[in-house]
Amino acid sequence: MLKALKWAITGAVSAVMLMTAALAGPYDEYVGETLYVNFPAHPHFDAVMRILPEFTKETGIEVEVDQLPYLKMRERQTLELGQDEGDYDLVAYVVFSKADYVFADQLENLARYFMNPMLSDPAYDPDDLIDGYVYNIGFAGGNKGYLEGKTGSLFGIPYGSETSVLGYRMDIFEKHGLKVPETYDELLETACKIPELEPGMGGLSSRAASGHHASHAFLLHLAPLGGRVFDDQWNPIVNNEQGVAAANALKTIVDCGPEGASSFGFGEALGSFLNGDTAMFLDTTVVAGQINDPSKSKVVGKVGWAMHPMGVRRGSQTGGFGIGIPRNAAHKESAFLLMQWLTSKKGDKLVALAGGNPSRFSTHDDADVNAKFPHMATFGEALKHADPDWRPIIPVWGKINADLGTTLSKVLTEDLDIQTALDGVAERTRAIMEDAGYYTWQ
Amino acid sequence: MKAHFLNRVTPYAFLAPAGVIMVIALLYPLGYMIYGSFRDWDPSQNISETEFVGIKNYITLFFDPAFHESLSVTLIFAGSVVIAEMAIGVGLALLLDRNLRGMSILRTLFILPMMIAPVVVGLMWRYMYHPTVGTFNRTLKSMGLQGVDWLGQNALLSVIIADIWQWTPFIFILALAALQSLPRSALEAARIDGATPWQQIWYIKLPLMMPVLVVTGLLRLIDAFKVLEVILVMTEGGPGLSTEIVALRISRTATEFRELGTAAAMSNYLLILLLILTLAMLAFTRIQEARTARLARQVQEES
Amino acid sequence: MQKERQHPAFYALLFALIFMSVGPIFLMFVNSFKLDVDIIGGTTGLLFLPTISNYETALCDILWYEPDHLDFCSLKFGGAFINSLIIALISTLLTLIIGCMAAYALVRFRFMGRDSASLTTLMVRMVPPAVLLVPVFGLWNNEFCIGKETWVGSFIRDTLGGRGDVCLAGTHSGIILIYIAMNLPFVIWILQSFIVQVPRSLEEAAKVDGAGPFQVFFQIVVPLIQPGLAAAAIFTFRIAWNEYLLASALSDRNTKTVPILIVNNMSEFNVEWGVIMATGMLLAIPPIIFTLFASRQIITGMTAGAVKG
Repeated sequence: MLKALKWAITGAVSAVMLMTAALAGPYDEYVGETLYVNFPAHPHFDAVMRILPEFTKETGIEVEVDQLPYLKMRERQTLELGQDEGDYDLVAYVVFSKADYVFADQLENLARYFMNPMLSDPAYDPDDLIDGYVYNIGFAGGNKGYLEGKTGSLFGIPYGSETSVLGYRMDIFEKHGLKVPETYDELLETACKIPELEPGMGGLSSRAASGHHASHAFLLHLAPLGGRVFDDQWNPIVNNEQGVAAANALKTIVDCGPEGASSFGFGEALGSFLNGDTAMFLDTTVVAGQINDPSKSKVVGKVGWAMHPMGVRRGSQTGGFGIGIPRNAAHKESAFLLMQWLTSKKGDKLVALAGGNPSRFSTHDDADVNAKFPHMATFGEALKHADPDWRPIIPVWGKINADLGTTLSKVLTEDLDIQTALDGVAERTRAIMEDAGYYTWQ
Repeated sequence: MKAHFLNRVTPYAFLAPAGVIMVIALLYPLGYMIYGSFRDWDPSQNISETEFVGIKNYITLFFDPAFHESLSVTLIFAGSVVIAEMAIGVGLALLLDRNLRGMSILRTLFILPMMIAPVVVGLMWRYMYHPTVGTFNRTLKSMGLQGVDWLGQNALLSVIIADIWQWTPFIFILALAALQSLPRSALEAARIDGATPWQQIWYIKLPLMMPVLVVTGLLRLIDAFKVLEVILVMTEGGPGLSTEIVALRISRTATEFRELGTAAAMSNYLLILLLILTLAMLAFTRIQEARTARLARQVQEES
Repeated sequence: MQKERQHPAFYALLFALIFMSVGPIFLMFVNSFKLDVDIIGGTTGLLFLPTISNYETALCDILWYEPDHLDFCSLKFGGAFINSLIIALISTLLTLIIGCMAAYALVRFRFMGRDSASLTTLMVRMVPPAVLLVPVFGLWNNEFCIGKETWVGSFIRDTLGGRGDVCLAGTHSGIILIYIAMNLPFVIWILQSFIVQVPRSLEEAAKVDGAGPFQVFFQIVVPLIQPGLAAAAIFTFRIAWNEYLLASALSDRNTKTVPILIVNNMSEFNVEWGVIMATGMLLAIPPIIFTLFASRQIITGMTAGAVKG
């Protein structure tokens, strides 16, 4: 309570000061407004929390954040966005929510805002935003409905977007003269060699817990190994040769992984890497900040970064979050101003320095950022191979994802035959797609 | 005339607040759920906008292997926790039914686990079961043994153990209360007749406690179907569906898969199951009461 | 009373039992004073530097100073704790009053519908919260609403702020209502067995003195069943304080309760064991205090609830 009061007072004071100081500016009209935004509890958005006071200082617009775990966030948003008038002015959404929200007409089309000369900052430089992320996260209505294409338009801006990189323990690799794996064969071989060389240490820590985690880990291998969930006609092909290879890779990794790996969620997988229980970590770029934080990590300074290994092609994941303005928001214009500020060159650099994931090319090349985070260059390189189609972003994906994740978890813990398991997934997926009308034109 | 009217109205006046609340917040929702279970219902829809689909939801569930699995997980979970808790709880009660210094302190400490929030119980056990950081595996390893993959390969067992930890005291306290209210004369007589302690337990104590034990067991069984938070926090139903009890599946179907109609149908299945159990319990107590009444009458007639 | 001497093995067993039932709680207590590095790193036992930073992180929104190790306050535990208190206390109080009156009516009066009322009470006791999830979610969000265009609705919106129609979901009252409904059957059931024991003669005497039925009830009966009320209060409070599922479906960002907060922070990106243990400990403290001070009432309540089927 006290704190809220304190905030209110500082807010009011700074608002008054701003009103007298800057007589004409784009933010004047909105000084003193309070935006309610919904962000996930996630390292990138923790970094955002650190830079938000800067926004308030600069603009006089207050921001109140409701931080939720990202799966909970989606539930909450389903409810809020469905109402006539919602609570949130700006939401961060998970990539695969894009399809749901846009399809249900719950997000504002951003064209109207970028066209408005009073709101749109001429120095914004949209071309500097990383293409893959923009098409993956913000863009809807293009090819297949979710990819880049002539028919699409923009509903959100990538923010807190991620790709996958391989983190490895330089000390361990040096000690045993291991080569940093560049292909999947090498990756799997190294992953299983490490437990023999270093008793008690797992090869690669991966998420594998039932549901979203297992499915995510599987898809991470599926794209580089040349697989896809659907073919061009929306026929499920997850059970083809490449699908089986990806599931096999996941199983090998979990079997050669640290103890208890089959129940790891993202937190546990990262935790075991931070604790030095595994030699490699293949997942999102978002973890770099924590690996270098001595209060959380025991491997500070021992971790090197490499590209996501190659199978038949390079294909690291594209994921993370975007920010968009709900249709039922109360303060859409100031929400746009916040969104623009956060993703501007300045905001992007600030958040990168605070430990977040930048979404602009210029930030990846920025000297200050690279000085503070030397891995940024590798991450920038990895971005070039980010695969926007590594998972389908369609409204029914949530259901398919859940089924895939549970089934894979059974493969990992109950020794269900991989081919049978994936055949089952494909069959159920077909039924879901049939129900949703994807085969209407065949 | 007025007084008569008042007298007739009084009980209803006493009952009214409870009645109104239960109708609004329990019975109406249950009816609403039954109505909703026949519809194709998305959380963003108002129920009036939903489509009537007949018993489709029930049929889908009836043939859904995932539902079968979570049903069997629920039955295994409920069955094994009740059996284990009854055995341990009653055993301990028989063992500790003596004049002890500090028995009340002991009982206080025993009931602590069941007063603590299930969410907290779940997080404590999740920590203790942690594959590398957790207390159990650390202890095992410090003794030179292999760690156990608690929440992975043995998730259901681990969840059952946590529940046993939390709820055995419930059985223990009730069994102890039942033991201490047994007629002293019967026990005295048995001892004079030279019955061994074992015989006393087997032929006197257990049969006399049986009515209370059956009710306790059934109560615990009904409660075991309500367990959700502990499992949610510990495993979130995984790995696979190995710990996804029906209550958890209802909540996932409603929030994650966004199929309120199916979730409602599933709730109805669970409700029917519990209804049968409750009726069994009621029937048992009725029969029991009738028998004691008959026995009492016989005793009176004989004397 | 004569205390018997027992075999040493017997005391060993007792010690083991106490260790088993209290050990995990103690472990959580100890861990809540450790840094994450210490918890993960395996400094077992009591050899560590205790820190209150976990509690500072948890309670950052109600502390009067800003802890050094925090850049911003993400965990609004203080607010959630206050919500939990409001919801648990009000729902307990109302459940007791309403339940007590209903139990009295069921025990003392013969009237039409008594048997069916009694049976209904017994039957709804078994309804699990998960079953209520779907209907309560739908009703509280969509049906139990006052349009914001109506007189009452616009009045509420003008005075309290917020947007959209005025619905039960997202308010304290919404959660309180469902908790009362959930707990009533149990409270009625328990209190019946206590009311039966109140001697009728006392009530008759008061009636002769000209007291009305409500006077009799509040002045004669209620004071006599205080132990029963205490037991019922503890059980009601326990459920309202600990419940997660329905609260998570009904609360919004301002009405979150503590269990929701804990679950939210459990399944997340980096599991911060220390902070989670601290929040868990804070949630567990009120029930632990109740147990230590009122274990007799709890045990009475438990036996009364179970033995009298």
